[in-house]
Amino acid sequence: MSFLDIHNLHVCAGGKEILKGIDLTIETGRTAIIFGPNGSGKSTLLGAIAGLPGYEITEGDILFKGKSIRDLPVDERSRMGIGLAFQYPPAIKGVRLGTLLKTIKKDDQLLKDQAEMLNLTQYLNREINVGFSGGERKRSEILQLMAQMPDLMLLDEPESGVDIENISVIAQALKIILEKDKPLPKRTHSAIIITHTGFILDYIKADIAFVIMDGHVLGCGAPGEIFDEIKAHGYKKCTTCFADKYRDMVSGDL
Amino acid sequence: MSIQDFDSERLINIGYDSCTASCGKFMVLDHTILDKSSNISGLHVMPLSEACKAYPHVRDELFFKIVDKDKNENTQLAARSPVVGYYVLVDEGVKIEEPLQAAFLFGTDGDVQVIHNIIELKEGAELNIVNGCTTAHNCGAGRHIGVTETYLGKDSSLGYTMLHNWGSTMEVFPVGATVVGEGAKYISNYVAMTSVKNIVSCPVAYVKEHGSARFYSIIYAREPSFFDTGAKVVLEGDGASGEIISRVVSEGGTVISRQMLSGDVKGTLGHMECSGLLLNDRGVIHSIPELRGAHPDINLSHEAALGKISDEELSYLMTRGLTEEQARSLIIRGFLDLRIEGLPKKVQMLVDEIIDRSLGGTI
Repeated sequence: MSFLDIHNLHVCAGGKEILKGIDLTIETGRTAIIFGPNGSGKSTLLGAIAGLPGYEITEGDILFKGKSIRDLPVDERSRMGIGLAFQYPPAIKGVRLGTLLKTIKKDDQLLKDQAEMLNLTQYLNREINVGFSGGERKRSEILQLMAQMPDLMLLDEPESGVDIENISVIAQALKIILEKDKPLPKRTHSAIIITHTGFILDYIKADIAFVIMDGHVLGCGAPGEIFDEIKAHGYKKCTTCFADKYRDMVSGDL
Repeated sequence: MSIQDFDSERLINIGYDSCTASCGKFMVLDHTILDKSSNISGLHVMPLSEACKAYPHVRDELFFKIVDKDKNENTQLAARSPVVGYYVLVDEGVKIEEPLQAAFLFGTDGDVQVIHNIIELKEGAELNIVNGCTTAHNCGAGRHIGVTETYLGKDSSLGYTMLHNWGSTMEVFPVGATVVGEGAKYISNYVAMTSVKNIVSCPVAYVKEHGSARFYSIIYAREPSFFDTGAKVVLEGDGASGEIISRVVSEGGTVISRQMLSGDVKGTLGHMECSGLLLNDRGVIHSIPELRGAHPDINLSHEAALGKISDEELSYLMTRGLTEEQARSLIIRGFLDLRIEGLPKKVQMLVDEIIDRSLGGTI
């Protein structure tokens, strides 16, 4: 039984089929990167796994810890251990960040320590994302994930809009959640990270990378190598690359 | 009917708690004064009927002077009725931090309770009043008429918090008027979280030179409650300012929110805002903002927004593991979370606790 098993996933959003048969497997304790050009379906994949409204699964299934989550509402998936850091989190007027964090986790001291680590102590009494800069929103997302400590983290471009100094802070927090200080067999938390810039790879060692194009998984492999290929040749050449270099690799089952 | 007919929770829900430190108390059950005390030198708390006898200026210069006794049938009835209510006086320069607790309890089925209060702050005085109104738990229909006339001397400051916790068969008609003297500050903070048959109230403040009047209201209208509430601020002196902010949630109830700012002289500044949240399609929120300018050198503005809880916000909170009900409660609680500058921490905490309790502690 795999930790996360996605079979032939077809997803429609806004009346249009975005994912056209995704197969993907993540094992316990692994960190996976998703590469892909704009509009390829990366965010749709995370939204479908998290169970956000607006993403309709028309075919296929998602198994999390061996159980189909296809028909579960978003909050039940969260309580099963799935946490999502939004690319563009909404502002919620009136609801203070500290209030939400206390609702998620009751340990005041731990919350204070985590907020301090992410330079967000001053933001606990502020309304969620109201007047936050792009970088502050990203750090707020990670702080909420730290409170949740999900078994599977879904991170939609966690470093976009974040300055170099704060990317390091975010990465440090993610390493704690992912138990990167432990040997691989001892880790129990996994992640799927979407990145455009690849900056996050300088801070977090990922185990596998997938390339998604036009709603399909084109292939998978070592994150650094794939990213270097994309940087050198762009996504247009990915089809050829995978045909040549990753012909023998299956759907990411490490 | 006696005070024993009011369980402690109902009294706590209007801020009347014997465990809380206060500078004084005043309590009326129906038309009987049960408690009146002042713990601070310079603060005078007494029945208005006694004050009218003891202080001629109360009877001649303050009593029914800024509320027109012929305004409507309720004020006419108040003018004809025996005088029951308080007179609160704070001497010049006396600044009091602890709030004065006042409670008006309604306990007799079918009765009409008529209250008349007068508040007078002399120059430089400061006071906070928490006024609470409630019914006995077993009480049926009734009517409450409350007249409040407030006179704030130069550079004085009054925080006036009104907590309504009526029953669903009560009809309530508060009539209030305040003269905000030169450089004085008036903060009115109104909270109504429980069902009521209807409440009709639109207090007015007349603000003199460099004075300020701020009205805040938090209303949670359950079905089939009817509220016709609001505030009017008349900026009469140079540099006077006013603010009217209301947060209204309708869970099937009807709320008419009237707000009016009038700037008659130069340098006056005012802003008002009504935000409404409709939780279902059975309720109505009707926001009626009015601005009136009578001088080119004024700055008056208003904004209003009505709507439902956003699906995007709900989903966002639910990705954190909150159930839909918890997420809704958190958003509603946040919506009602008005932080009022200048309100003592103790009073703000009291308001927060009352709102939390009335929302049922889902979170």
